[in-house]
Amino acid sequence: MNDLIVKLISRLLIPFIQLYGIYIILHGHLSFGGGFSGGALVGSSLMLYAIIFGLKESEKKLPHSVSQFIESFGVLAYIIIGFIGMILVGSFLSNKSAGFSLGEFGTLFSAGMIPLLTLAIGIKVASTMITLLQRLLKEDSHD
Amino acid sequence: MKQFPVLIVLLPLFSALIIPLLPKKKRFLFGFVSVMFGLLFILSILSYLNVINDGSFRYVFGNYLAMVGIEFLIDPLIALLVLFVSGLSFLIIIYSFSDIQHELKEHQYAYYYCLIMLLMFSMLGMLYTNDIFNTYVFMEILSIVSTAIISIKHKRSNFLASFRYLMLSSIGSLTILMGLAFLYMVTGQLNMDSMSLVISNVWTLYPTNLVLAIGFILIGLAIKSAMFPLHIWLPDAHSSAPSPSSAFLSSLVVKIYIVVLIKVIYRIFGIEIIASLRIDDFILIMASLGMIFGSIFAIGQKDIKRLLAYSSVAQIGYIFLGIGLLTPLGLAAGLFHIFSHALMKSALFLSAGSIIFSTNKRKLIDLDGIGFKMPITMITFSIAALGMIGIPGISGFMSKIYLGLALIADKHPIFLSLILLSSFLNAIYYMPILISSFLKEDVLVKNTLQKDPLPLTMIIPMVIITLSVLLIGLYPQIIMDVIELALPYYF
Repeated sequence: MNDLIVKLISRLLIPFIQLYGIYIILHGHLSFGGGFSGGALVGSSLMLYAIIFGLKESEKKLPHSVSQFIESFGVLAYIIIGFIGMILVGSFLSNKSAGFSLGEFGTLFSAGMIPLLTLAIGIKVASTMITLLQRLLKEDSHD
Repeated sequence: MKQFPVLIVLLPLFSALIIPLLPKKKRFLFGFVSVMFGLLFILSILSYLNVINDGSFRYVFGNYLAMVGIEFLIDPLIALLVLFVSGLSFLIIIYSFSDIQHELKEHQYAYYYCLIMLLMFSMLGMLYTNDIFNTYVFMEILSIVSTAIISIKHKRSNFLASFRYLMLSSIGSLTILMGLAFLYMVTGQLNMDSMSLVISNVWTLYPTNLVLAIGFILIGLAIKSAMFPLHIWLPDAHSSAPSPSSAFLSSLVVKIYIVVLIKVIYRIFGIEIIASLRIDDFILIMASLGMIFGSIFAIGQKDIKRLLAYSSVAQIGYIFLGIGLLTPLGLAAGLFHIFSHALMKSALFLSAGSIIFSTNKRKLIDLDGIGFKMPITMITFSIAALGMIGIPGISGFMSKIYLGLALIADKHPIFLSLILLSSFLNAIYYMPILISSFLKEDVLVKNTLQKDPLPLTMIIPMVIITLSVLLIGLYPQIIMDVIELALPYYF
């Protein structure tokens, strides 16, 4: 898409969309939304970039192989966090009993491992959305 | 060790995530997949022995209460089913290493095994879980992954079949979700044991809600497990997929949905409520229609894999007939047929796959004299086909005996005559294949006995599956003892 207005406005918008997405991911254990909705916001900002500036520019910022790697890494992180509880206490995904600090209720650093899990989910969802779009665009250009 | 179930469920998920990151070489991929499946098999053997020795147990995630969190219930039957699923899929996977090179392009192997791993993850999770909503989540994963597996070959027929399957299974999923919502209205619980406790207390107050709930859930699961009038997606889907995936879908995936139905009927509702709502009549009628019409449709087929797919519809009718009787004998017969049909059907699909692999022929009329060109393959096919008909000594005969005894004990002799009729119909479509492959002669070449033109990785799994069909046919106690051990959990 070769339109000056669209490019300028999207450049202005993308940081704010990403900031809002990261805010929702980090406050997943405190307020509405969480890993999935925040990750979808971050992913949609990446998709906006890919649609407006084209597949080549988007691959420069985030190559397909890297986004595929991050995608697997998100779920792996979730599993590994779950295994910590399993090794220490003997129950998969244990939170307080496995020694994660619950912190003070209502603050950002609280609820033990749940923020880490929402972060992992957010990474997974954001990278999945951009991987899907890149794959669809590639299919279109190849065969 | 209490951790085996979690490890068994997470191992396939873990490998599905690792496979896309592996170097793009065939050897690495095949080595990794077979090591992971071997590990899964060993873990499920250990878990099975643990359950048989120490009795069943529950596993709660994250130390939450079972009512709030997610719970796994591992009884002897579930442990045996997990062992069976992982063992049979290990054999099919070994077979697939050669067959897949014939059916897919090289860059698709990694995707294929990633999908197979996700399929294993969702099947094993669905077997273990004791939480109805968790079952639904695994069910969604399973139906999406099966759609992807059907459409992996870039052909017109595959896309059509997978689109049809996607639509019907989405309708099924939504129906099940609606039924679960009705159940949740009555109980306010999602754990199966708490649900059954609440339902047994209040079911006279909410009969309409419960009829709607079981109706929606039954129809949804009937679409997914291809009960007779809702089977229309199955023949296309199972015949157009690559042969190892046909074996997976037909012998394992469909059965998992039936196990979920067993859990819903026997564990959540309980037989008294089901009988007084008259759900069992519906199941029995649909099952017997499926037994007859699946076989009649199979007679008209010209393609070997479509014939096998229609035969699945008939055999699933047997399983539903056993389940619908609502007696311990009937449930045991239905569960036994789950095992024996899975073994026989995977042997049939794998041998049909080897015929397609080496000769590229799928039509039944091209099979003249194939028994001399591929003796081991056709002996496998014949043993499994004779088992489907019900020849003594093969596991299909034993499941028919058990089903017949259950029907006589429950005073339903008319269904017994339907089983006999269905067996004759089975003979009508399986015998011509055996006759033409062993007794007729190809137009071009004379019948001389040759060695199968197949790699060993394809022959060995077929032989092992055939031997286990015979073993279970001669010693059905191997499975029946475990089923009898598990029956108290379902009544």
